[in-house]
Amino acid sequence: MIPVDVTAAFQRGLGMVLGLVLIAGCGNDPNPRPLRKTRPDGSPWLVMYSGMPEEPRSLDPQVAYDQMSRRILEPVVETLLEYHPFKTAPYEVVPALLSEIPRRELQADGSVTYLCKLKPGISYVDDPCFPGGKGRELVAADVHYAFQRICDPKVGCPVFGNLAEYIRGMSQLYERAKKNGDQLDYSEKLSGLEVIDSHTFKLHLLKPYPQIIYWLALHFTAPVAREAVEYYDGKPHTDGPGGRERIRPKFAWHPVGTGPFVLHEYRPGHLIRLARNERYQTTVFPEEGWAPEKESLLRPFAGRNLPLVDEVLFTMFREELPVVLLSRQGYLDEMRVGKDAFNSFVTPSLKLDQKYASRGMSLEKNVELSTFYMSLDMQDPVLGPNLKLRQALSCAHDTQAGIDIFRNGVPPVAQQLIAPGIFGFQPGFRNPYGFNLEKARQLMVEAGYPGGRDPKTGRPLELTMDVNATGAQERQVAEFNQRQFQQLGIQVKIVENTFARMLEKEDQGNFQIASGTGWGADYPDPENFFFLFYGKNFPPEGKNISRYRNPEFDRLFEQMATMENSPERLEIVQKMNAILVEDCPVILEMNKAFYVVVQPFSPRVQNNTLLEGGLKYAWIDHPLREQKRREWNPVPLWPLGVGVALMMGAVFYSVRWNRRLDV
Amino acid sequence: MFNYLIRRLLYAIPILLGVMLISFVLSFVVQSPESRARMQLGQRATPKSVAAWLHQRGLDKPRFLNTAKDAPLLDSQFFNHLGKLVTFELGVSDVSGRDLKEVFREGALPSLLITLPAFLGGLALAISLALYQVFVRHSLADSLGSILAVALMSVPAMVYIIFGQAVIALAFNYFPAFGFDLSGWSTAKFILLPVALMAVMGLGGDVRLFRAIFLEEIAQDYVRTAQAKGVSNARLLFVHVLKNGMIALITLIVAQLPLLVMGSLLVENFFGIPGLGNTLVLAIRQGDHATVFASVYLGAILYLMGLILTDICYALVDPRIRLS
Repeated sequence: MIPVDVTAAFQRGLGMVLGLVLIAGCGNDPNPRPLRKTRPDGSPWLVMYSGMPEEPRSLDPQVAYDQMSRRILEPVVETLLEYHPFKTAPYEVVPALLSEIPRRELQADGSVTYLCKLKPGISYVDDPCFPGGKGRELVAADVHYAFQRICDPKVGCPVFGNLAEYIRGMSQLYERAKKNGDQLDYSEKLSGLEVIDSHTFKLHLLKPYPQIIYWLALHFTAPVAREAVEYYDGKPHTDGPGGRERIRPKFAWHPVGTGPFVLHEYRPGHLIRLARNERYQTTVFPEEGWAPEKESLLRPFAGRNLPLVDEVLFTMFREELPVVLLSRQGYLDEMRVGKDAFNSFVTPSLKLDQKYASRGMSLEKNVELSTFYMSLDMQDPVLGPNLKLRQALSCAHDTQAGIDIFRNGVPPVAQQLIAPGIFGFQPGFRNPYGFNLEKARQLMVEAGYPGGRDPKTGRPLELTMDVNATGAQERQVAEFNQRQFQQLGIQVKIVENTFARMLEKEDQGNFQIASGTGWGADYPDPENFFFLFYGKNFPPEGKNISRYRNPEFDRLFEQMATMENSPERLEIVQKMNAILVEDCPVILEMNKAFYVVVQPFSPRVQNNTLLEGGLKYAWIDHPLREQKRREWNPVPLWPLGVGVALMMGAVFYSVRWNRRLDV
Repeated sequence: MFNYLIRRLLYAIPILLGVMLISFVLSFVVQSPESRARMQLGQRATPKSVAAWLHQRGLDKPRFLNTAKDAPLLDSQFFNHLGKLVTFELGVSDVSGRDLKEVFREGALPSLLITLPAFLGGLALAISLALYQVFVRHSLADSLGSILAVALMSVPAMVYIIFGQAVIALAFNYFPAFGFDLSGWSTAKFILLPVALMAVMGLGGDVRLFRAIFLEEIAQDYVRTAQAKGVSNARLLFVHVLKNGMIALITLIVAQLPLLVMGSLLVENFFGIPGLGNTLVLAIRQGDHATVFASVYLGAILYLMGLILTDICYALVDPRIRLS
């Protein structure tokens, strides 16, 4: 007989359960502890909890290009100019590190100079890279150094080519560095950026380029402290704790800036923590510009020092399920509605599901500054010379149906190349070659292919469509597109490609129809979209994948590209738009868009998609968040009771069984 | 024993070479270096910038043998890569540029914090339940236990994770549904749920196996002799049957021990544990081949270590086995 002490077993079981309860009593809050609980004045330390689906690729201002990197970098490294958080139709640039928008001076030789003045008294954050660890004042030489870095082949700035075309001396500096084994001589001045005094510099352009203002609002041109680049070299140094050797991080992972936040902690694959830059005073909350319905929310912040929150914690979520769970529990302050979570949050009428709406959550739609389309090869002997055939293909494509099936009906159908909010976008414009099957069939007759058949051979016209087939959905989209064109009686063969092969074909012009092409705007100017169809911008160096060439379009592009926004420029942009939709070098599809679920305690202060550094305007209603978290996270005790009962049952059963054994 | 060890270590070399060759070849099948460059450089990538990216990483060299004039024959991508791994120069991440030794050092502790307790806890639970079933063998509880074990085996791992997150973390709010914070005892709240789920995931199969092993033991002559001598049920199970049954279990247990360092791909990813499993998943997604290669290489070494350790343990616990 096994000497079973039931009382002791019960006590042990209960002890275990109580232990679990105690640990559970620590709470289900998944967020790491904040840096502080209260501010020096005793008010709550405000932490914003956010998520990121991907890792940033670089936090070097002259290198970072992807959205995730910008999201972290721009709050840390302030730009010379920045986008107004509320003025998005059209977008407006306002001073940040500069005291005013640079003035343009047209020179006699056709070149252009911009006089730029830095605001006085702006300091870098305290960092060991500075003498005594104390951040020094920002000076014009830091801007010059940043522009030198753009020309440094070793830095590998992705927009060097764009800027070098306009800024004096950049190409020469780059070429000299290339000849010198990729070593840039930083003692050599860049003639295009003339430092006048400690806070003033001139930017010399070879020719008029109004879009330079937008480049000054991008982090590529943000000033950099040379000390930081030299200090954070990724090499071992004997300055670790106790004089031990330690590898300093690379500058690409340790940005040192003048922005509203400091990169306090970065644990790759896990979290990124930004903390308030206590010395930040470059900008304040705008006094105007918001939508009337946000007046009561935003008026109290007008003129207040930034940032409004003290800490921002980004957690890396590579799956959507945890994002949904944590948002439901109130532990995430914002949630982008992904494909998997769409049906549980959004109703078929594109409203927030009642169970979330009743919690005070709301749904906001964001349209990205991007346009996606199918590219048609204008040098293809079938498609290139046959305008009516291209128009027919465009008319045959039911883009809205594709969006409804594959994208839950969220993105708007692109009626024009320019994305909404950009100068020249015409809200009421309808693509004359949008979906219209009857018109498409008529155009096929005019194209010389009645019923989709080639009269010479009597057989259906055959076209190939290259797709980047990386998964099941891409294949389904390709088959959907194939069916659209086959309604005209033509045969479309799908060619599936890997990502690299697809890019290779686009570069070589080795396709007839290339699916899934498009462009995300770098800055809100029509030039940034129309350059995709400029005749001198063919691949591989350029991005005119369709190899579209229209002398009138090119002439207008060259004229429009150097003009300031004006009624004359608007007229030219509209003409170019009309030429493009008429010529159909692409089949327009959509402007990418997504929904965001907004928590009741974390209203979206701004939703400017160009302003990745807009975290300084974010705000959290801390007491409401605490209250909601308590309401949304009750801890039931009955499951523990059931667990204890089951364990006890098993013990009693074994005791009884043991008594029956005759050994 | 010493000769045997040397022989086993020598056998490991061609296996490691094979692993590296296969992973190297597969990496090109999955994604070409040009494609990786394009992904990293973004939409403005030009042929020049792609070429520069490849050159910086030595990916513009021939794949296996450098037949260019005046170039060393082995100055190729594969042999350069091989040379670095053999000397444990793991290099830096393709994406973040971080020292991979540091990456692995940082990731090992979070991984071990979930895999080790899950392994030991799961093992203890499986042995206990198997012994319980053996104790109540041929009863209703035994049959129910077997059905439950088969059911546990049949459930995919993802279902456990979704159940854990949606029911235990979300509906009952006992533990965080996601996250990790290495901060003393409060770390426990982050690891308890993943540990429990991992332990339960492997429980069904283990209980079935251990029950079979213990049942085989309990039918041995020495057990009957012990029973005849009046040994108690408890002593019979926990001393005689368990001890002798453990010899068969050693192979299963020891081989897994070194691999615990590598963490769990699925659980770490879904619970946001910044361990080595998560690192590997992230590296695969980002096309960070340097990290993937290093992970596969370390995984292969640890696996081989596990096999060698198993052989040694066999010899230590079973006097009938001699390694010669």
